[in-house]
Amino acid sequence: MSAVLLTRLKITDLTALTALEAGQRMLPEGHTLERVVREELFLFEPEPGADPASFEENLHEAIETSNFFVNPNKERFRFLTSGERGDKWSPPEGAWGILARSRDDTRDEGLRARLLREHPLPGLAAVRRARAWWLWTRGPAGDSAREVFYERLGPLRGPAHGLLVNPHAEASLKLFGDVAWKDVERFLAEPALQPVAA
Amino acid sequence: MARAAVLQIPGVNCEYETARALEAVGIEARIVRFNEPSSVLSEFDAYVLPGGFAFQDRIRAGAVAAKLPAVERIARESESGKPVVGICNGAQVLVETGIVPGIHPGRVELALAPNRAPRRPGYQCRWIHVRAHEGPGRATFSSTLSLEETVPLPLAHGEGRFTTADPEVRARIESEGLVVFRYVDAAGRPAARYPDDPNGAMLQAAGITNVAGNVLAFMPHPERAAWLRMMPQDWPGPWGERRRAAIGNIDALEGPGPGRFLFTSLAKRLGVTAPQGVAV
Repeated sequence: MSAVLLTRLKITDLTALTALEAGQRMLPEGHTLERVVREELFLFEPEPGADPASFEENLHEAIETSNFFVNPNKERFRFLTSGERGDKWSPPEGAWGILARSRDDTRDEGLRARLLREHPLPGLAAVRRARAWWLWTRGPAGDSAREVFYERLGPLRGPAHGLLVNPHAEASLKLFGDVAWKDVERFLAEPALQPVAA
Repeated sequence: MARAAVLQIPGVNCEYETARALEAVGIEARIVRFNEPSSVLSEFDAYVLPGGFAFQDRIRAGAVAAKLPAVERIARESESGKPVVGICNGAQVLVETGIVPGIHPGRVELALAPNRAPRRPGYQCRWIHVRAHEGPGRATFSSTLSLEETVPLPLAHGEGRFTTADPEVRARIESEGLVVFRYVDAAGRPAARYPDDPNGAMLQAAGITNVAGNVLAFMPHPERAAWLRMMPQDWPGPWGERRRAAIGNIDALEGPGPGRFLFTSLAKRLGVTAPQGVAV
């Protein structure tokens, strides 16, 4: 059971705005991309057998008082301890998402080492990272038409198909509704992702 | 006279020196803005996508620029055999369009992923060595360079690691000789580890062409080494010796540098006859 940190800009996110503008040009007629939000996900993984509660209080303080993760002038965050996070991750109201991670190891050892130099966090084994793209979409029938949008804006397959994820460098997970945190943990912890089929 | 378009996308920062390097070998270069009517691009014989940070590398380096009508037009023009070079960020754009390597047309088959080097993550900005190899791109991009020569070039990137998740694509890139430039050590041996290998690219690839050999995605910056004066004075090896010998000799300093080969090769491919006084 990992603790979870989610951060996003509270000032205008120009990357999300660029994704919105580029994405709008890639859609079939009658499809509207209304909003894009980019959110960074950090999972704080305990050592095997360790109680995450042993580092979560100090971790929360570290997040609030250092700028390792959040600059409060421009970012907001949600920190959820392993006890608070519940079983499932729910998309924001009206949105669906794509979770993207590097095909390489998702552990950020440099970040963990810097964090531990300043904060005692006994039992913290790893900090893993991924990025969530949340999309508010509307198809011609008034529904989210998320399969169409996913095919156009999700993993890159050709010049007109795909934008947010290059599958040769990243792997992705659909966030089409509530997703079990254990599936997210498994997705981030998978050490060597399978090659793409030819 | 052969004409080349240097595509200016918001965020690129090497368009002027790239145009100067083309002009130095007798190619007429024009900087074309990304939002000019894309039909303008058909007038040119060759195209260069210069280095920089197109659209500030938002989403991913090259991802947004790859969707521009101007880039789509260049991709179409390349189908008739016109040469296209993407340098650094330009290489990232070409890879994101899928025209490099273009083994299965219409598919994106590569990524330029974040550099991977032990204890040295992130941006690299320094000189390295490359060597040219036989392949379909040889006639267009390295014909004026001996395969025995080790060339020092500057590089500057955070996402320069050629990689594919498709084992068939990797095998065909290797078997079809699409890696036309590889990182090597100072003696010309394959770059086995950092720092000779700056980013962990598959097959030590510094430059990969399409199957036809007329489109090159090249991570180092030859335009930043197109004149001898651009070489570091303390660089070891023959190019460093030439640079030191040229101190105080303006004519020698204004002579070709190690990166000139890419432009002279392109000029040769385009049938350019060098203007008087220009070393091609």
